[in-house]
This record gives sequence, structure tokens and C-alpha cells, in this order.
Amino acid sequence: MTEKIDLSRIYGPSDDVVVREIEGEIVIVPLTSGIGDLEDELFTLNETGRDVWARIDGLRPLAAVIRELAAQYDAPDGLIQNDVVGLLQELYDRRMIVEKG
Amino acid sequence: MDHPNRPRPSLGDSYPVAGLMRAVLEKGKAFRFEARGTSMHPFVQDGDTVTVRPLASGRPRMGDVVAFVHPATGGVRIHRVVKADSGTYRLKGDNALGEDGAFPREAILGRVVRVERRGRARRLGPALRSAALARLSRSFWFTRLCRRARRTLGRREGRA
Repeated sequence: MTEKIDLSRIYGPSDDVVVREIEGEIVIVPLTSGIGDLEDELFTLNETGRDVWARIDGLRPLAAVIRELAAQYDAPDGLIQNDVVGLLQELYDRRMIVEKG
Repeated sequence: MDHPNRPRPSLGDSYPVAGLMRAVLEKGKAFRFEARGTSMHPFVQDGDTVTVRPLASGRPRMGDVVAFVHPATGGVRIHRVVKADSGTYRLKGDNALGEDGAFPREAILGRVVRVERRGRARRLGPALRSAALARLSRSFWFTRLCRRARRTLGRREGRA
């Protein structure tokens, strides 16, 4: 069963990804299958996704990340939380991010 | 807040794969992507999916099809080693009239180990055949002959 994203935990990028910014988007290539596969496994984040990714740096708990994003976007914490947790759950399930603490 | 992720873009000629490929290969992993263009026809055709593996400590051999960053465009090309000479490698597309030039080992990102067309893997052929192709490919007349044969066959198929 997949572990759920926890707001009190700290997450960061996995060592098994290659990340590059290309034309304003974050492109994440997972290497967990032993191959960097642009045809089947490439993952891209748009501008808002990039703001989330920049804060998933293994330094602060997710709740703090959400507070920062809510302030930046001038939006309720709950709304931001839904989007961010949804994205991070997908990244976590694909082993693109890992728990750092 | 927009939904923060979206489907990947299609990989056109201009897609800057060089940096991604180098980063993946430097981690010792293979890199799989869609090749564009006709310079390696018929071995690699436009839209084929190509897998490149890092060379590690190995050296490219004559006849190998390798990925490298072309200095003029900064884009990745998939061409054949047609001559290996004291640490430099002359590269050329099988279907290109001229060579790309001589490149040091460091310019070569990796070796093509798999080509898929319409979901099926293509045979790469024995090393001997690759070396023979490399020798023939150095001949301007051989390349012109191949291109003429391809055009003629294409016209016949078009009429059929």
C-alpha cells in the first residue's frame, strides 16, 4: 500500500532523478528503472509546479512549504494544500521525491 | 493555482535533449528518446526510438553509431564513427554527404544499443557489418549511390 504524504515530514528530490529547466518548465527524468526514458517516463512541471519543486529541497516540513506558497499565491492554505499534496503524492509514488527527515 | 503538472511536450527537432542526455549518461544509466531527421537512414529513421548507453571507460569503435553534441547547433546527433585515429573520431551520418568532422572522445555522449521502430526492436547487425558500413560510408560516391537508390525506390513505391 502506498504511503501517504504527511504535512509534518520533510521531502526532497530522489538521487534517482535528473532534473533540468527547459523553456521555463521543470523536466524530471526518473532513473529508477535503470534508464532515462523520455518516451514513457518524462515528467514536466509548469510554472506553479516549478514553485513547488523549488521548495521540496529536503530542508523544511511540507506544512511550511504550503504556508509559503499560500502567501505567494494569496490563496487559502486548504486550496494550496490539495494541489501540493496531490502533486507530491504522484511524485512520491513514482519515487521522484523521497522522505528526508 | 493551476494544476501544477501537465503532459510532457512532444519531442521535436528543437527539443534540447543534450543536457538531459549527458546528465543521465553521467549517472551510468541509459537514455531513450525519439530520434528526428533522416541523416542515418535507413539504420535510424525519423521517429524511431533510440536507446543510448554510456561508453564508461570504453572507447568508440569504428562502425559504432554514437550520440554526440554537434558544436554548430548544440543539438544531439546520432551518427556513425567512420574513422578512429589517435584519440579523435570522425563521424558521419550514413545518409549525409559530408562528415561532421573530428571529435575528441569527450564529445561523444554514448553508443546506440537499441533502435525501435513502430514498437519493435530492430536488429543492429554484427560489429563486422558496422565496420564495413563505416568504411563504405566514408566514400562520397557510395553515399550518393545509396541516396539515388532510395529516391528511385521511393518513386516506384509511390507509383505502386
